[in-house]
Amino acid sequence: MNISSDPWIWISALMSLAIFSFLYRDNPFYRFAEHIFVGVANGWAVTFYWHNVLSPSLFDPLFRQGQVYYILPFVVGMLYFTRFIPRVSWLVRIPIGLYMGYYIGVSIPSTLQAYIIKQVQGTILTSQNFQTWNAGSMGVVWSVILLIGVMCTLAYFFFSREHKGALGIASRIGIIFVMVGFGAAFGYTVMARISLLIGRLQFLLGPWLGVIE
Amino acid sequence: MKIIETLTNIDRRIIYLILLIVVLLPLLFPSVEKVRVMAPVEKLYYAIDTIPSEKAVIVDFDYEPQTAPELDPMGFAILRHVFERRIKLLVLSLYVQPLGLAQNALTQVTEEFNSVAKTNADSIIYGRDYVFLGWVPPPIIPILGMAESITSVYTVDYYGNQTDTLPLMQEVTNYNDVGLLVSLSGSDIPKWWVAYAQSRFGLPVGAGITAVSASEFYPYLQTGQFSGLLVGMKGGAEYEEMVERTLKIKVRRKASEALLSLTYAHLVMILFIVIGNIGYFAKRRKK
Amino acid sequence: MKRTFPLILVFVFGILGIIPFFVPHPVVQNADGFLRNEFLRILVAFALVLGLGSLLKVHIDKIKRRRENWQYSWILIISFLISAIIGLFGGVRGTGILPTSIGSFQFDIWTIYWNVVMPLGSTMFALLAFFMASAAYRAFRARSTEATLLLAAAFVVMLGVLPLGDRISPHLPSFAQWIMDVPNVAGQRGILFGVALGALATALKIILGIERSWLGGGRE
Repeated sequence: MNISSDPWIWISALMSLAIFSFLYRDNPFYRFAEHIFVGVANGWAVTFYWHNVLSPSLFDPLFRQGQVYYILPFVVGMLYFTRFIPRVSWLVRIPIGLYMGYYIGVSIPSTLQAYIIKQVQGTILTSQNFQTWNAGSMGVVWSVILLIGVMCTLAYFFFSREHKGALGIASRIGIIFVMVGFGAAFGYTVMARISLLIGRLQFLLGPWLGVIE
Repeated sequence: MKIIETLTNIDRRIIYLILLIVVLLPLLFPSVEKVRVMAPVEKLYYAIDTIPSEKAVIVDFDYEPQTAPELDPMGFAILRHVFERRIKLLVLSLYVQPLGLAQNALTQVTEEFNSVAKTNADSIIYGRDYVFLGWVPPPIIPILGMAESITSVYTVDYYGNQTDTLPLMQEVTNYNDVGLLVSLSGSDIPKWWVAYAQSRFGLPVGAGITAVSASEFYPYLQTGQFSGLLVGMKGGAEYEEMVERTLKIKVRRKASEALLSLTYAHLVMILFIVIGNIGYFAKRRKK
Repeated sequence: MKRTFPLILVFVFGILGIIPFFVPHPVVQNADGFLRNEFLRILVAFALVLGLGSLLKVHIDKIKRRRENWQYSWILIISFLISAIIGLFGGVRGTGILPTSIGSFQFDIWTIYWNVVMPLGSTMFALLAFFMASAAYRAFRARSTEATLLLAAAFVVMLGVLPLGDRISPHLPSFAQWIMDVPNVAGQRGILFGVALGALATALKIILGIERSWLGGGRE
């Protein structure tokens, strides 16, 4: 055992243990650590936004280099703070509308292309699917099952008609695919969460206590 | 019946303790588990391996420290692969938090290579072999802007150097000079690269993701929108296996060492679920 | 005016966002680049400051009104101020006007990030493993055929993805992979279509001014 003498390692370890103490029950150590986390994380974010964005992209060009056209983004950006002044709080809609409008505009054709058209292309059967039979390369059997699965899943989420008759059968098949998918997702989620716990334990056992390399 | 009653009413703190012990013990005696490499990981490996020599790889480090245990091993393994093959490398982040993780990975891996390099040509030199571009918010700016010119988006790199003075940036100007972008992320960021950079500019994209997101990313792998996919700690272990097996790079395999803990934890989880269900069915039958 | 002008802005900038996707002409692309790089980038930074202002307002309010656990709000505000001062005046790499080391003890913003933010954030996520185990034990029941199917798929994947699966049967990892490649893709794709079409519809409604909830409440 080779316990660390670095004060920062000790601070990290004690903070980690304070958070873990929540497993026993809610307690002042956990709340203390939680509030420190939020405070320091925000202080850290402010640092980077100032040094990497606001200072070199706005304040330096505007106030030091005299590039006057930066006054426009400066004024529009300042409108965000009108949110705190009830009489003129409607002005906050201007920068929000501007940024949100542009971002939504950019996302429309991209969403259509990547999330809908391409996904439809991946679902429909083409001559390529009929060239092989084996599982490894999405042969026709699995392609047909995939197509049926997608159609039935969409049938399950179609609530404008009662799930009776053909729609009822399709939606029952659809829910099977959805449940298998969710089961797989749960299986992977277990792996994910345990991995994060392993990461923390590796830190406590390694750099702090020196029990492992 | 009493046993079943007891087993199905275990205090949650006992559950936590059992899980802790089961995960902790294998970590005290680490051993590397051999893994079978599956198709999605192989696809990404060969996508990187077969990049034309004139093209570069961009690695987007976009995971936060919270998900570092799953994604760090992937990042390290990919960097080793890229440096061993002497593929031109650009590294960036779309958010500020991953910058430290990216720098840490680059520093460690370049040190590994430079500690055994005998000549300048063998060494990994900043500016010649790789550039750390840093961070420019918001994400939409570099994703769309790099199609035109990378140096106009990242005018200075992470270390404050003017990017247009770096030798590598004379050869890699925009997406036309990029063979593949690999996005390592704990969120939807790889899908953004597909939606904005790939659909508009045809950029090939690979992804390394946390296991939580695995099921929602597979549809994109099936359509070929992702050139390959690494999932969670297991994906990292598989890539480590490929790197060791094909490139003969023998280093500490952190993801592979953790697999035994993962295995026992999974078995315990299955046991908890089975015990819970036994109790449920026993109570139902009693009624 | 107070509602109409922002709606017009959303429409105009929405169109400005869509056009460059279809028009590769350099004039359009350069204008788009200018809008993004010189204008929107700066707006985003102000949005962060707004978020921060809201957070501080909530906690200052909590202290003023002595709400439950108000003492912890002091901790949040003080830790925020200390880290912000160290970062703003000490610089990103500790090269600012404020010294960020005493002897060999460093306290620049990156050191604080690695040793405070990172372990705290990581540990909060690590807690989820325990909660998931407890929740699975208490709530995961094979009540119906569908739930049993879900459980079965989960077990196959949990065993198949690890080396243990290979030892149980060489077909188990392939079966787990097949579950991810076929039924999982089918189910997720159906859900994805619904979500993507819904997002697209909402986006169009916002740009066209049909969806106005983002304007906030009130007649103003």
